Amino acid sequence: MFELSGLVQWIYKIIAGISTSLGLPEIILDVILIALMAGAIIAFLMLMALFLIWWERKVAAHIQDRLGPMMTGWHGWAQTIADALKLLQKEDIVVANADRKVHYWAPVVAFSICFAVYAVIPFGKGLIAADVNIGILYILAITTFTTISLLMAGWGSNNKYALLGGMRSASQIISYEVPLTLSILGVVLMAGTLSMGKFVELQGPYFWKWYIWPQFLGFCIYVVASTAELNRTPFDIPEAEQELVAGFNIEYSGMKFAMFFLAEFLNMFTVGAVTTTLFLGGWNPPFPALAFVPSWAWFLGKSLFIVFVIMWFKWTYPRLRVDHLLGFAWKVLLPLAFLNLILTAVGVTIF
Amino acid sequence: MGYFRSFFSGIYNLLLGLQTTAKYLPERAVTLQYPKEKWPMPERSRGVVVLLSDPETGELNCTACLLCQKACPVAAITITQAKDPAANKRYPKTFEIDNTICCFCGLCEEACNFDAIKLTGKYEFATFDKKSLIYDKEKLQELGRDVKYERKRKAPPKKPVAKTETGAENPAKDNPPKGEEKL
Repeated sequence: MFELSGLVQWIYKIIAGISTSLGLPEIILDVILIALMAGAIIAFLMLMALFLIWWERKVAAHIQDRLGPMMTGWHGWAQTIADALKLLQKEDIVVANADRKVHYWAPVVAFSICFAVYAVIPFGKGLIAADVNIGILYILAITTFTTISLLMAGWGSNNKYALLGGMRSASQIISYEVPLTLSILGVVLMAGTLSMGKFVELQGPYFWKWYIWPQFLGFCIYVVASTAELNRTPFDIPEAEQELVAGFNIEYSGMKFAMFFLAEFLNMFTVGAVTTTLFLGGWNPPFPALAFVPSWAWFLGKSLFIVFVIMWFKWTYPRLRVDHLLGFAWKVLLPLAFLNLILTAVGVTIF
Repeated sequence: MGYFRSFFSGIYNLLLGLQTTAKYLPERAVTLQYPKEKWPMPERSRGVVVLLSDPETGELNCTACLLCQKACPVAAITITQAKDPAANKRYPKTFEIDNTICCFCGLCEEACNFDAIKLTGKYEFATFDKKSLIYDKEKLQELGRDVKYERKRKAPPKKPVAKTETGAENPAKDNPPKGEEKL
């Protein structure tokens, strides 16, 4: 009833009609459509980032029996907007002897990467910007760029703490990339495809057909490893406050800091969205009878639930030590991921 | 086997932690939204010092006896005495309390015999100007207007009691020896 795909079709028809009546070449129509899609996704994601920051503060507060932001609007809903406006006004400080270009581009890289991922995320029925046939591979490739942005921030800041944070994040993300990819491989083996749209179609509107059940181990490994990829507690050693002050973003101020901050929260939503698509049936309802709820609402609900779980982790667990963290990746997660992969391969061959 | 046992007990303990935080999540917050809500202050809390007035006449109870000024360990109180010849009564011409040095010990309240000075539960008196923390008589009286208090000392009788009775029973009170007066 409230499906957005109809709206998208309608907009497409209007723009296509205008461009054919004007006799524009097809490439201009494509460029306009891509710009529109990118604009819509970026607008949605900015709102989502603002919402997630507010939500994180609320979850943290209520777990600690506090109330969190309460002064700006109903339960402080406008707090993030107020904070963003404050950060916009702040002076942009660049440290002496900093590597200026690297320092300048690091937040831009971090910020743009998290938008690039959403090109292949199916937000709902017919709501996928580009259903490329290697969607999940593209996501894995793009999200690894986060390491480079954090290393850039650490290197360009001319600060030993920032550099340590950047190095730690590089070692951590590269280690956890391995079990993460292996856990996704299980799903890929079962589905026999790499396309994000296909994953959703194959799982269908029956919750017992979703890949979380045969791939429960893979699901757990994916959530844990992606929590580490996000540099969030209990794996937040790149920004361990007690050791590294603030980690890689210590020398950033104003809007550059805000870009890192927003990117972190957007990456969190990315993890939620990818987990939903791979393991939780994407935009499908759990029963065909529940299809009256629009597909994008199912997608949002599932993704936000995964995001909530990651927030819940953050406010429950203490931080791991560096060697424990890497030991956990190589000694526990990697064997489990291999086990999961082998079991899935055997299962796929037999059935 | 130790590897697997520690593995599963680790997972169990992690889930236990998640359960604990989830239990606290829906609970009511224990914090107060401070400027909107405030804790009720205890009756004997030692906040801003005020001067009390007679609830009937609205006049200050203070008789400018300077006991509080002498009791004050940090010399935060400055009083100028004056005498009202019509009522034949002393009153404080000026009464200043310097809140920048007041240590809220409550000795002035203990020294007072006339229920004139009291420490209250009020605590919001931050300002941008340090000089405005020196409260004068009018300000102190204004702060003490809504303070409820129990009179320790009954109002002095209007007419003097017959001298024969008091003089006979307690002569030392009416005519104290001269040596004591100097103390």
